[in-house]
Amino acid sequence: MSEIMHPLRMKYTREHVKKTTNCPGCGNGIIVQAILRAIDELGMDMDEFAFVSGIGCSAWIPSPLFNADTLHTTHGRPIAFATGVKLGKPELNVVVASGDGDLAAIGGNHLIHAARRNIGITVILVNNGIYAMTGGQTAPTTPRGVNTTTNPYGTLESVFDISSLVLAAGAPFVARWTTYHPRQITSSLKKAFTSRGFSFIEIISQCPVQYGKVTKSGSALDLLKHYKKDSIKIDKARTMDPESLKGKIVVGEFVNEQKPELSAEWTELKARVMEGRS
Amino acid sequence: MPTVTVLEQSCKGVEDCGICTFVCPASLFSASEKMNTAGYVPPQILNQEKCTGCRNCMIYCPDFSIVVQKNADGSNSVEEKEEDE
Amino acid sequence: MSSKTTGNVMAGTHFLMGNIACAEGAIAAGCNFAAGYPITPATEIINHLAKKLPLHGGIFLQTEDEISAISSIVGASWSGCKVLTATSGPGISLMQENIGFAVATETPLVIIDVQRLGPSTGVPSIGLAGDIVQVARGSHGDYQIIALCPDGPQEMFDLTVRAFNLSEKYRVPVFLMAEGFIGHMRERVVIPDASELSLVARTIQRGAGGPMQRQDFLDAAVAPMPVFGNGLKSHVTSSCHDEHGMRNLSDPEIMHKFITKPIEKIMRHRDDIIQVEKNYKDCDIVLVAYGSVSRSAKAAAELARADGLKVGIFRFITCWPFPGEEIREMAESVKHMIVLENNCGQLFPYIKAEAAHACRVDFIGPQTLGQIHDPEYVLSRLKEMVR
Repeated sequence: MSEIMHPLRMKYTREHVKKTTNCPGCGNGIIVQAILRAIDELGMDMDEFAFVSGIGCSAWIPSPLFNADTLHTTHGRPIAFATGVKLGKPELNVVVASGDGDLAAIGGNHLIHAARRNIGITVILVNNGIYAMTGGQTAPTTPRGVNTTTNPYGTLESVFDISSLVLAAGAPFVARWTTYHPRQITSSLKKAFTSRGFSFIEIISQCPVQYGKVTKSGSALDLLKHYKKDSIKIDKARTMDPESLKGKIVVGEFVNEQKPELSAEWTELKARVMEGRS
Repeated sequence: MPTVTVLEQSCKGVEDCGICTFVCPASLFSASEKMNTAGYVPPQILNQEKCTGCRNCMIYCPDFSIVVQKNADGSNSVEEKEEDE
Repeated sequence: MSSKTTGNVMAGTHFLMGNIACAEGAIAAGCNFAAGYPITPATEIINHLAKKLPLHGGIFLQTEDEISAISSIVGASWSGCKVLTATSGPGISLMQENIGFAVATETPLVIIDVQRLGPSTGVPSIGLAGDIVQVARGSHGDYQIIALCPDGPQEMFDLTVRAFNLSEKYRVPVFLMAEGFIGHMRERVVIPDASELSLVARTIQRGAGGPMQRQDFLDAAVAPMPVFGNGLKSHVTSSCHDEHGMRNLSDPEIMHKFITKPIEKIMRHRDDIIQVEKNYKDCDIVLVAYGSVSRSAKAAAELARADGLKVGIFRFITCWPFPGEEIREMAESVKHMIVLENNCGQLFPYIKAEAAHACRVDFIGPQTLGQIHDPEYVLSRLKEMVR
């Protein structure tokens, strides 16, 4: 019998990267496949992409795994690096994959400014609600009242609704899904990869080892069951009052519109001023 | 009938992960009695003839450890559908 | 005043502010992506680039902070652009982590540091050479850096071009260490014709196969850069990596190479990189300086010679890598070195370490920090020292 291999792994990952770094049950692996499936279904080539990530578990989604140009950067800064990559080579499809701590805490300023600028990159923000790699510290996405390593008596602060933040900052494409929605993630990513503007996809993802154990939220399956049970599509959520939305995860595509994209605007501007000069 | 293959060596185990056991609509996955070289217990598939070919196990597996090959004619037994809410 | 612009070069003789000469140097060197955040006394550079770069097909991106500025020029460099950022001390402090990233990933880029008085917010409009050591030692870990010290607007042009050439040739970040005084000084600047400028472009990786079949990093002879968008499937990380770019956090041999090869890459080519100006033949005493102070040193040496003292000068044009051999050679031929710095003595310990075995080494700061060294003051201190 010939050896059976996973087709996405065979086609899109570096041959010498033999294993993924994720803990058992981690949502990152679901997102890995969702990204690669979007590329596969679009018939795109990995050479059309550059993947940029920061620091934290989910920064390992593309790097070193994806067989493409990958730039593994410093904590919080991947969007700033990616902005330079995109402006330097606008024909590249530049994709950032990183976590909530990386992109919404230490890198929060770059996130909102990239949305405001409408730089044509795709940002996949994996929101596991905790600092996982360093061992269960409070993130700006950790629910109020749970116990973490750095709030052993309970967190006192409110959480960021990151998708709303990015929406308010002007991003033309914003979607939120959970790892219970891999097909929907792929569908949104296909739109993101083929649209011109700043595309933001927040993925609520299970971290059974840190979030699950530290905050006593249960196993990978417990978290996935919660995503299944408590996810509410945005269309339905809009008809519900805030009280009945408590504890729910609003998912779906929040906005999908056209706005002038920065690298294209730069190309036009350069042509205009160079023509004026000659 | 679709063929489901578990790539046991990369599997991170039914006990700690077990996502395949949760997302299979026909509940075909359960812990096997084997252990891979990393010390994880991969799933076994009983009653594979009941597989609907939905590919949930393949799509949800975080470790590229499940491959679903479609029917000989390339079709699925059932259409894939998006899970809602 | 004559001027003609050929290609990107504003050739001719001009009366220019140092910061403008620097921006023109960047354009002449082929810079096509710059990013920055406004900061006194460096702002004129980004203002000028914002106006001129698009005319030559380039981009200036005003970022939300200096961290984003350094990050985005690293990204653009990996997209194949010749890149620059310009800032001052507080901006350098913010950039330090990703300057280390550029070192670790062997990314060519140019950083203009128009230094000001610190610590902290200090005095923005007063030039002090306060960052001379922080640019070499301010990011964490062990590394070498290249830094050049212009002494006026002409060198703001010339050394900016040279900074680009060195960064492209060796795949390293290069600093231009201006001070506010130099950035805001106006003087005659002669810009050569485009045909007279020699420009260096990085070697781009053309090797077949994937990263595992190539050497993309850690070659002391400089590995070709696997620039993005060429189907090279480059793996770039600032974490400890091997010559293919693959992360490795377990093999001490690879850790050793990860740290030492980029250092060796610079040190092996030190003779090409290091430039000093020296004029101390038959002298007993040498005034050692760089940047704006070197102008005072030259004036003080002339005054001293008029008084019959055998005083020469030594000027760092390259301050990093540190010209230790040149200092040693000088120490063994003179009796007394007097180091003049526009700070409390930042390079002084490095100079002393190379010289104290062979001659006396003293330090003279400005009469008052925030003022330029008065040559008369330098002469009177010198006379006290040799009395």
